[in-house]
Amino acid sequence: MLFAALFLPRFSLQAVLRFRDDLRGKPVALVDDAASKGRVVEASGAARKWGVFEGMASTQAMARCAGLALLPRSIEQERVVEQILLEIAMSLSPGVERTAPGVCTVDLRGAQIPDRERWGADVVDRLGALHLEARLGMAGAPDLALLAARTAAPVLIVRDSLAFLAGRGVAEISSSPELLRILHDWGIRDLGGFARLPKSEVASRLGPEAVKIWEQAAGKSERLLKYVRPPELFEEVFEFEHEIETLEPLLFLLRRFIEQLSLRLQGAYRVASEMSLALPLENGESHARLFTIPSPTADVETLFRILHTHLDGRRLEHRPVALRLAMKAANPENRQLQIFENALRDPNRFGETLARLAALAGSDHVGTPQAGETHRPGSYRLLAPSFESDESTLLAEEPPERGIGLPLRRYRPPHPAKVALERSRPASVFSQPASGIVSGSFGPYRLSGEWWDAATWEAEEWDVELAGAGMYRLSRRGGEWTVEGCYD
Amino acid sequence: MTADAPLYSLAEIAAGASSPEAVPLSPQAVKVADLRRILQEKFPARPAPKEGYFRTGLESIDRERGLPRAAVTEICGSLGTGSLLIAALARAAHRARSFCALIDGGRSFDAFDLGQPVLKRLLWVLCDGAEQAVKAADLLLRDGNLPLILLDLQPLPAIQLRRIPASTWHRFHRVAEQGNAAFVVLTPRPMIEGARVRIAAESRWRLDAMIAPRRALIETLELKIFDRGMGKGIGGPEFVAALDRHLKAG
Repeated sequence: MLFAALFLPRFSLQAVLRFRDDLRGKPVALVDDAASKGRVVEASGAARKWGVFEGMASTQAMARCAGLALLPRSIEQERVVEQILLEIAMSLSPGVERTAPGVCTVDLRGAQIPDRERWGADVVDRLGALHLEARLGMAGAPDLALLAARTAAPVLIVRDSLAFLAGRGVAEISSSPELLRILHDWGIRDLGGFARLPKSEVASRLGPEAVKIWEQAAGKSERLLKYVRPPELFEEVFEFEHEIETLEPLLFLLRRFIEQLSLRLQGAYRVASEMSLALPLENGESHARLFTIPSPTADVETLFRILHTHLDGRRLEHRPVALRLAMKAANPENRQLQIFENALRDPNRFGETLARLAALAGSDHVGTPQAGETHRPGSYRLLAPSFESDESTLLAEEPPERGIGLPLRRYRPPHPAKVALERSRPASVFSQPASGIVSGSFGPYRLSGEWWDAATWEAEEWDVELAGAGMYRLSRRGGEWTVEGCYD
Repeated sequence: MTADAPLYSLAEIAAGASSPEAVPLSPQAVKVADLRRILQEKFPARPAPKEGYFRTGLESIDRERGLPRAAVTEICGSLGTGSLLIAALARAAHRARSFCALIDGGRSFDAFDLGQPVLKRLLWVLCDGAEQAVKAADLLLRDGNLPLILLDLQPLPAIQLRRIPASTWHRFHRVAEQGNAAFVVLTPRPMIEGARVRIAAESRWRLDAMIAPRRALIETLELKIFDRGMGKGIGGPEFVAALDRHLKAG
């Protein structure tokens, strides 16, 4: 039997300091105004050296250490770190328990781990790459593994539980002052001494709670893990101390986010298919945008470029107070190109170019044309291009050229015209693009549609040739003439 | 030494060395080798000129190998053939199972009789004037994903076209050389200095063209091709003057 416990010491503080390189190694204390007003919840190692400890009033802490940085606790960032810890744990085994904030217990029964020290060090390194300082303990029982993790530096494998417990204080597993006092009076200082007491005597003298602690001390506690199945959520959150006014710090943090998320995705053998960016603003609103990634990837540069393109030159009405980036994971594409296929060489770059084109010409002016669901002349709509080759388009035969006549070059909008009629046919045209005597004409072509709707329309069209001035399409709607376009 | 083995390695040629069995190089050959070495050292990043042509399906163009890739082609002529050519080129892209982009400077494209399979492979960018169209072309050329890019400037007024600086076209030449796209610009008159291929399209259609099959119209398109790469065009003012004469005569 084998269990591993992953432990993040000073969990809340680590969550806040993950992206604060400027505060690494400096005295920092975390204050939770919601739980204990003005009191220190967690303090960094440097702060402890100055005599700053948990439970101390923030004013007292500041008095002890003038350079102390007081930071508010961030539940959101703690949630993200909790998720990361679970992700890493889930990558080790499907049996994972969320034991406590910053603590996961992993069921490794049945796992073949030849070199446990190296394996543990790798896990700690993976968390280190995500800017988390972790400790790992491995033992035959879950509680023993946690006890080992708490004292690990950073990996501790318990092979002989009694020898391991012999040097541990009882206070390490029990917080009951009553029990600690009694054991102290009995002269029992460590877990080894406590475990040597007969279990039946402990039960009769100290009660069932003490038996549980005895079982832990003796390495005989066998509890069932409460397995969790966390949702696949690749997200990073950062709450700024002050509102952000320029793009640079935002981009800096975004790159860090993407690097972290990319690492996490790669750890799960996944890639990002969508990115969701949210910038909560100081006025309570939020600037949110969803990016679909044309070719799902975990490449940092590609993902960063998509966000950079979106944010570059964008001006927000209010300043952001936080940054949230989430990625939707997908399986990597393993598609073999077909022999006659001419797929896009870099779909992500193409997606970025489309975004730039949309910014330049307007999002409703870039796309793949599709005829509208109407017979109204010139009606079209633009769809988001999907230049992915599929079987149907690859095998589709080229549609035969069955068109008649010349294609029309449309004027958008049509030009108003004055048209003189002779025997009910256009005889001369006067308009901005074309004027002259009509030397020949085809028509009228009478069109109508949507008569069942308020948007009903009706038109009469003529194809005319102006003497020496080309051919045009005229249209009459409600008595008004327009030049719809020219033929070329 | 086997028959296939080179007489000299490149380093030996560059150094002017010779093997006892080989015929000594002439001083001119050594100079050429030196020159090549110097050029290679001075311009290491210079990409090798790309070859390749985009087949259009138009007999008169494909007879001259097609539209050159990694180069700028100018199709010029007054209104009369532009839309027909755009439709033909979009069909050619579909036939080649590739994609194409149409940058529509005058928002005039109306080719829904192309059929949905062809349109599915077309990226249509509706631009508001020449300046925006040129910027869009720049983005698509630099993107390097699409093998055929059409920039339609034909319906735009002359005043807008005159505002496009000549340096824009020089930049497009450079950018096109880096990629592999056939970049086709449709203009009302010759205006792209140094275009690799200029095609003068001039067909005066009469009203009876409106009842003729499209295929027959495409086959009877009158196209004059001036390919600098083939040594047929002379470029520069003489070329423009000759082309102008041709267009006026048409």
